[in-house]
Amino acid sequence: MKRASKIFTALMFVFLFAPLVILLIFSFNEARSLSVFSGFSLKWYQELFRDTETLKAVRNTLVLAVCAAGASTVMGTAAAVGIYRMRSRYLRSALDMVTNIPMINPDIITGISMMLMFVFASRLMGLANSLSFLTLLIAHITFCLPYVILQVLPRLRQMDKALPEAAMDLGCTPWGAFWKVELPEIMPAIVTGMIMAFTLSLDDFVISYFTTGTGFQTLPIRIYNMTKKTVTPDMYALATIIFFVILALLLLSNLTDSEDSQRLRAARRAKRAAAGRPPMDPKKRRILYGCGGGLALVALAAAVVFTVTETDNKPQVLNVYNWGEYISDGSEGSMDVIKEFAAWYEQEYGRPVQVNYETFASNEDMYAKLSKNAISYDVIIPSDYMIARMIQEDMLLPLDFDNIPNYQYIDEDFRGLYYDPDNLYSVPYAYGIVGIIYNANVVDEADAGDWDLMWNEKYAGQVLQFNNSRDAFGTAMYRAGIDVNTTDRSQWDLALQSLLEQRQSGVVRSYVMDEVYNMMESGEGAIAAYYAGDYFTMLDAQADTVDLRFYYPERTNFYIDAMCIPSCCQNKEVAEIFINYMLSKQPAIANAEYTWYASPNRLVYEDPDYVDEMGEEAMAILYPDWGDFSEKYNAYAYRNLDNDLLDYINSLWETLKIN
Amino acid sequence: MTAKKKRSSLVTGLAGGPYEVWAVLFILVPLGFVAYYAFTDNDFRFTTANIVRFFTDTSTGGDGSAVRTYLVISWRSIKLAVISTVVCLVLGYPLAYIISRASAKAQKTMMTLIMIPMWMNFLIRTYAWMTILQDTGILNNLLAGLGLGRVHIIGTETAVIIGMVYDYLPYMILPLYSIMAKMDHRLIEAARDLGCAPAGVLRRVILPLSMPGVVNGVTMVLIPSISTFYISQKLGDGMFFLLGDAIEGQYVANNLHFAAAIAFILMVALLAAMAVMRYFTEKHTYGGL
Repeated sequence: MKRASKIFTALMFVFLFAPLVILLIFSFNEARSLSVFSGFSLKWYQELFRDTETLKAVRNTLVLAVCAAGASTVMGTAAAVGIYRMRSRYLRSALDMVTNIPMINPDIITGISMMLMFVFASRLMGLANSLSFLTLLIAHITFCLPYVILQVLPRLRQMDKALPEAAMDLGCTPWGAFWKVELPEIMPAIVTGMIMAFTLSLDDFVISYFTTGTGFQTLPIRIYNMTKKTVTPDMYALATIIFFVILALLLLSNLTDSEDSQRLRAARRAKRAAAGRPPMDPKKRRILYGCGGGLALVALAAAVVFTVTETDNKPQVLNVYNWGEYISDGSEGSMDVIKEFAAWYEQEYGRPVQVNYETFASNEDMYAKLSKNAISYDVIIPSDYMIARMIQEDMLLPLDFDNIPNYQYIDEDFRGLYYDPDNLYSVPYAYGIVGIIYNANVVDEADAGDWDLMWNEKYAGQVLQFNNSRDAFGTAMYRAGIDVNTTDRSQWDLALQSLLEQRQSGVVRSYVMDEVYNMMESGEGAIAAYYAGDYFTMLDAQADTVDLRFYYPERTNFYIDAMCIPSCCQNKEVAEIFINYMLSKQPAIANAEYTWYASPNRLVYEDPDYVDEMGEEAMAILYPDWGDFSEKYNAYAYRNLDNDLLDYINSLWETLKIN
Repeated sequence: MTAKKKRSSLVTGLAGGPYEVWAVLFILVPLGFVAYYAFTDNDFRFTTANIVRFFTDTSTGGDGSAVRTYLVISWRSIKLAVISTVVCLVLGYPLAYIISRASAKAQKTMMTLIMIPMWMNFLIRTYAWMTILQDTGILNNLLAGLGLGRVHIIGTETAVIIGMVYDYLPYMILPLYSIMAKMDHRLIEAARDLGCAPAGVLRRVILPLSMPGVVNGVTMVLIPSISTFYISQKLGDGMFFLLGDAIEGQYVANNLHFAAAIAFILMVALLAAMAVMRYFTEKHTYGGL
């Protein structure tokens, strides 16, 4: 029995730690992959310590978790005591119910509903920006509270009711009885509750995403938003470091604890006795400990105040909202565009500027936050169809092109496109074309060439399809020659039939977004439709057994992401200076090289060094010679669809997914 | 004595007061917003259409017959969540018991070890599981190396369950442990001394004593696993569609009202389930003692 339980415990810990070991190993990987280990390297650790945005996010996350855990522990313990002593059974069970609600609510709904409420409340109070660090903290305290209460309450109920009564009968005040009898009794539960609150706050993504304001992004948000590209391995390095820090803390606390510290204390007492001094008065010791704890709290509060005010004090602030991993950030020797801009701006204009660079995961997420006036940004970089929608809804400001002289370098092909026909609101940042990536070691060259490859039953269980409705339907519609923006529902039904056939024939291995990188690199999937630039990112990390190739089908998706100024902008002039800076040669080239997406900027694609750096194959794929770009673009790009149609497409998507 | 009673109720009021205000402001009011959105259309006129739609929307199933879309989705979500919860309980219960019987130092160490995985971001943890479970992954290479052949796990319900169990197991162990650590072990010894068989000790002594922990653990695991969308997307290869996916999908489609309706129905169902569970266990536990 003893042995069986030891084996069982060991197995459980293997289960709990297996993924962490994987992260640990791959944090030393030379390549970007989490599937293929290509050699030992410390470069991701260097990247991590250079990456100021990530470090800032780590600090934000920790500050938030400490504040949320502290506040929810104090309030939650008090609440548990209150509920426990409540005499009215009706009231008690009512409060019990309410306590369960934040746990029962799916976090996405808790997030959205709190966002709606904060927006509503700030409108009542006439505040401009409804979301801030405060709203984030409130949300975190709210979802941590029930976990603390649910830890403490059962412990209270388990406690012998006679104990506090006995204390009071012996002359203790109710306060005294609480401090001296009840509190020590429930202390382990309080500590567990606090640790849980801290952990939950640390790990939460969804609720934070909806309730945080400009200037305070946490680590999970930053990681989630990397989905346009892929999670970078400096995150594995970060996980490894966290792991060792906790391990060190654990060892330390075990050393100072129990027998050891008792031995130490005994030794200290003996020393005092030997020196002829009396043993320390317990009261004095308590005061000493109290002072220590108080100091720690003050330090913490100071740190929090410092962080909160730090972001608000500077005179010039520019808030930029972009896709994750979509700007050259200084990693692997590239240019840190944001940092360079700040330095350049200060030199040029004699005033410092603080850039808050933050990220979103999809056009829809960004739209939801901006359309509710929940946050304010000065520059955003959405995709074409979303720009069309935002213009239609008066959410963008016309640009003053006198402040953006570098607009002249934008190729004529990228002007006057459907989403901004009069070139008033947007400056193209990058563009891309969807193509098909395949593993030549699995796929017969003769089968490649068009969309049919993704439906070819020869490759059952090898095809990776998009895991979002618009792009997945797109593949079927381009294949069948259907207009991807049609309002004719029967055409969408046809596309669904095609996708159902693809799924039911067993061709589809997975529906993927950013997972496509790992799966293609390791050979887990052999065929996938994805963006041209991403093909090169995958090439860098492919396994020895994999030989990735790329081609464009005849009809396919084109997209453009462009820089815009939303109507909530606080500092339009600096925003325009920033946009202009992004178009200047050095940053524009750095961004194009970092993202691997094509640039509409002549300064980039006509630059010999850039062309050299990219290589012939990449230039041919990224900038295909297709004659009139705007004609193709206007024919095949996604456009904004109305809500009813989106709803209809969504229900078709659900039909596909439940089969 | 009456003065003491009065002061005692004052303490109670002071203790619970801030929380009551907080609960109303930040739990009930947002809940009101969910209900408000669930029962209105895009122009904020009252409607029950969203709720009705949840129960009536149909789509064509694999065999050509019509199925109720959201009921099918709900059924699958409930099934996976219940299986995950049961697995968590079966694994977590003995582990929590073993830990609670270890030395004080070992208890602390093991509990911290259980918390450590949760301090790594869950997105990254899930990524790591993809690496382990996929066809060319570590588990399969290990099995093949041992000559046991390969298994296809990723993209199956099993993979989703493994992911959920992994992510939520600590939520089961923590409340169980917190109750068991406090359990009076003399009761167990007494039962043994009096000739009770091990199974009897478990059923008649340990289980009733740890019941509040079981209830909390089940609550803490069941709820996140019924509404997750990230785990099912990554480890289920995007082949499954759960309630969390449905809500997220409606949100992305800019259809907040229907998203709120799905959430509202889910919430009502879960609250009812909790109420029933608490009613029975409370009677059972405290009646038995």
